[in-house]
Amino acid sequence: MFQTFHPKYVVNTPYLFFTGKGGVGKTSTACATAVALADTGKKVLIVSTDPASNLQDVFDIEIGNDPVEVPSVPNLSACNIDPEESARQYREKVISPYRSALPESVVATMEEQLSGACTVEIAAFDEFSNLLTDQELISQYDHILFDTAPTGHTLRLLQLPTAWSSFLEESTHGASCLGPLSGLGEKKQMYSSTVKALSDPKMTTLILVTRPEPSSMLEAERASAELKEIGMENQVVIINGLLQKHIKEDRISKAFFDRQQSALAEMPARLKQVGMFAIPYVPFSLTGVGNLRHMFNSVTHSVEINEVELSEDRLHSLQDLVNDFAQRDMRIIFTMGKGGVGKTTIASAIAVGLAEKGIKVHLTTTDPAAHLDYAFQQKNAYNRLSISRLDPKKEVEAYKEAVLSQNKNQLNEEALAYLEEDLNSPCTEEIAVFQAFADIVEKSKDEVVVIDTAPTGHTLLLLNSAESYHKEISRSTGTVSESVQNLLPKLRNPEETSVVIVTLPEATPVLEATRLRDDLKRASIEPQWWVINQSLYAQQTTDPILQSKAEAEKVWIKKVSEEVAEKTSIVPWQPEEKLGYDKMKDLINSSFSH
Amino acid sequence: MKTIKIFDPALCCPTGVCGPSVDPELTRVASAIFILEKKGFPISRYNLANDPAAFVEHKEVNQVLHERGPDALPLVMLDGKVEKVGSYPSNEEFASWLGVDVKELTPEKPRNQLL
Repeated sequence: MFQTFHPKYVVNTPYLFFTGKGGVGKTSTACATAVALADTGKKVLIVSTDPASNLQDVFDIEIGNDPVEVPSVPNLSACNIDPEESARQYREKVISPYRSALPESVVATMEEQLSGACTVEIAAFDEFSNLLTDQELISQYDHILFDTAPTGHTLRLLQLPTAWSSFLEESTHGASCLGPLSGLGEKKQMYSSTVKALSDPKMTTLILVTRPEPSSMLEAERASAELKEIGMENQVVIINGLLQKHIKEDRISKAFFDRQQSALAEMPARLKQVGMFAIPYVPFSLTGVGNLRHMFNSVTHSVEINEVELSEDRLHSLQDLVNDFAQRDMRIIFTMGKGGVGKTTIASAIAVGLAEKGIKVHLTTTDPAAHLDYAFQQKNAYNRLSISRLDPKKEVEAYKEAVLSQNKNQLNEEALAYLEEDLNSPCTEEIAVFQAFADIVEKSKDEVVVIDTAPTGHTLLLLNSAESYHKEISRSTGTVSESVQNLLPKLRNPEETSVVIVTLPEATPVLEATRLRDDLKRASIEPQWWVINQSLYAQQTTDPILQSKAEAEKVWIKKVSEEVAEKTSIVPWQPEEKLGYDKMKDLINSSFSH
Repeated sequence: MKTIKIFDPALCCPTGVCGPSVDPELTRVASAIFILEKKGFPISRYNLANDPAAFVEHKEVNQVLHERGPDALPLVMLDGKVEKVGSYPSNEEFASWLGVDVKELTPEKPRNQLL
């Protein structure tokens, strides 16, 4: 019913953006497309703009900010726009000439100021704009493919050129709030070229990758609509992982197939207007160039399976995790992990599990793309459990409002307008979200707070900013709310805060989650529980394709439960979507059926 | 006419609204300067984070920084001499240095003028 995706049908512009909800297979699709194009002799560059890039896992080489050739694929180069690294380079460029001329302590304050989320975001964005406008670089490639971070982050990245361009246009007193970005005014030209390139259908194709499931299609629809608004009209949808055939007598196989089909039948209306292609479900993980080359031309590609011995006694149910948290009286519980691994579901289940024990719980999400209302359908229906969502747009409005009213009486109209201009700077968003986040954490005095965080990269930036703000606050003369002051010490206290890492039993999510754990450890936060979500291994099926997927999971389940995690909980793949309070209770108790 | 040069610590923006908290002192200073600049007074402002060269080129500033470290900021120079160290000028100081009425720097909001 859908035409099978092949790059030759779709690729006719130099720039290709792959976006979509976390975990839908953006990286695999983008990499496979890049390899296919390079194999036809085109010069191709693939760029990851995800702060938690996986390109190095796929190609098995070190990849940094500068393009490197992929040895196993002639004509293909790859690079990561690593925001932290871009910011570090930028900082060094600004500071190094002054290391000898200014005292060390003074240089240190410069470094601190240039470590904020604002600098990090803009430095990454600057590099990104460069890739779209640097003629010398562009002339070296036929195609530049962008494997982008999950939708929320990408929308922001793609909307920034417009945001900055109009901010610069409207600003009457120059780019005052650009702080570390002195000279941004001169880049106006570059930003408007970026906007132009993005909105030219001869230059740019937006590829919305989705799974045949409701939440990722909703998100594809949202991205499609928002990016059309900034002029990215040339769009294509790829439905990734479509099960072609199934075994009617097998409960799991049938449920798997039916769920996909009903999701497709209920596809959001606006998404249907976009040209659509499908990629068949494959039971092997798409790392390594060999597997990538199979993605577009073989479904029957046989998978090599190594015998893996699992110690199943190391695998617990979600109920065990909930019991542990209740017993230790954890006050703040984060779910973290790559996008699309089911953090929102797991956070919801933990919240329901605790509420069932008579504990007062507040559940919230910082994921711009989360659908908590959707997951619960009724808001605040249960009195021990309250739900909120941290919406960046609303937070920015509230923050502006608060700052302006705080100053209303001291300032005249003109000065207020001046202040408002600074507040319209795109970097205000980070501050606003950060403050709201701190306020939610503060609620843990009265109730247990379960926080479903945005995908990995974003979360790390948030935690990093917690660190740099914390330093800044200690020397700030402004009025700092108590919640902000308390934030970092709270997050680091293992008696109070627990981080649950959520992953799928697959290569990329496990590798990425392992890096996340290392990053958290560096921030002095030690995750104990891991949740392996949507495991086919923990179900029983006779479908050969699903079975080989279940077999392939074992190596990753073993790695998590026996190597990296202190305690592991495993949640079987669910034949029905778990929505609402009562269904969450089923999920908590579902364990292994081996 | 006196010239004023203000050397800020490393700031994100001069109004401070993009810092971790809004510092009312910064907002006051930014607004006062904004008003004075509109009247044509020569005031320059240097932010350590994006204009470090100014902190090296002005010998007196550099010297104070070496003696007292980052706590010396903000630092104010009046006609080429270090006038204030570690704090911003008050509106009264701005007014007396430049010979303007202090009320002009913090005008009352023209609210309910007709009543």
